[in-house]
Amino acid sequence: MIFLATWLVTILLIAFPYPIWMLLALPHFGFLFVTWWGLKRNYQLSMTLLLISSLPIDVLYGTSLGLHGLLFALIAYALTLLGPSVRQVNWIRQSMVIFVVLLIAAAVSYWARTLTGQSPEFSILVLQAAVSALLWSPLRWLYDTLADYAQGLRTQRQ
Amino acid sequence: MRPLFSETSVAAVRLIVAVTFSVATIVIDSRFDALTMVRQAIKTALWPVEQIAYFPGQVSSELINWAQSHDLITERLEVIALENERLRTEQLKLQTLRAENAELRRLLGVKERVNERLLQAQIERLSNDPFVHRVTINRGLLAGVTEGRPVISADGLVGQVVVAYPHAADVLLMTDATHHLPVQVTRTRERAIAVGAGRMDRIELRNLPDTVDIVPGDLLETSGLGDRFQPGIPVAEVKEVIRAPGQPFALVIAAPLTPMARLSLVMVDLAEGES
Repeated sequence: MIFLATWLVTILLIAFPYPIWMLLALPHFGFLFVTWWGLKRNYQLSMTLLLISSLPIDVLYGTSLGLHGLLFALIAYALTLLGPSVRQVNWIRQSMVIFVVLLIAAAVSYWARTLTGQSPEFSILVLQAAVSALLWSPLRWLYDTLADYAQGLRTQRQ
Repeated sequence: MRPLFSETSVAAVRLIVAVTFSVATIVIDSRFDALTMVRQAIKTALWPVEQIAYFPGQVSSELINWAQSHDLITERLEVIALENERLRTEQLKLQTLRAENAELRRLLGVKERVNERLLQAQIERLSNDPFVHRVTINRGLLAGVTEGRPVISADGLVGQVVVAYPHAADVLLMTDATHHLPVQVTRTRERAIAVGAGRMDRIELRNLPDTVDIVPGDLLETSGLGDRFQPGIPVAEVKEVIRAPGQPFALVIAAPLTPMARLSLVMVDLAEGES
């Protein structure tokens, strides 16, 4: 229920038709979705579910199927390992750690995109990682609120 | 004593399995193009969610239209009426030229070109990925749009349909880095392949002989090779010809005639090749 709710919100944020001038400064909502799951609820996160949920994101972005699955798996793994220590620090330090993790994902993305014939610019991928890390705090609040709401609904049903 | 399989090693095994699966999927999709059905199924399932995402934009544009003053709308109508008159006159000339052209082709024994069957479509969204130049249009398989159809605008070529879904279709713009297009220079009939440069305002002709007769200002049009695009569709204007000293090849940089960043309405060419 919580996974579905957060995933649907992520899909809506990705599918929204943004004006072209915003494209370079857009965060990667998919990465922030995985970051939230990797940091907050990694004990509930299934790798299979993550891979399946990444396919619609590939379709929406128009990238090769599997590209976001690869990046999501790497981010989830890194944040699962770092989770216990990252959860203890304030949001600024969390954003810095997330930036480093997303930077590694950006490097892998650069490599995979080059192999599939695209000509990516690494600086844009770095900018995307930086914007995503900066927006971690409001997105975390959004997902927390959604999770609390979904949890409340479930408790009411029971 | 340390456990043989710690939680970290289990997570690492899961990661390896996930990475292997993902890399295999990337290779199958990008090299063998074998997952189109999967893509179509996912996009069809996402259709209601996408409509919800488009809703705020549609409402705001309706509100803007509604809020426009009566005077402004009257002024725009006058301009459109004048433009319509001019286009009707041009169309009369075009019909005469078409008839003449068909007659000449018949006399020369050359195959007659079919008339374009154009389907108007609106662009719903541009891919949010800055390296993927792909747009989604609101016409799909149900309207007769299929994979490979050329997409044009009033200014020239836009790209081609790469995946068609029941209610929508993905159009790969000619500026995408993976797009290759057979073109010819209108002035000299010199043929080349135009490759997207990954920028909305640029395409490139690479590996041309250093002696090639192309100058800035030349127009590029589709050559018709490959049977995907009809010949003669305007493509781009040459902006720069780079001839590096000592290098055997020249690089030509051209700007697409269609303003890709400001596109809203396009036409899908549904004509069935040449008859």
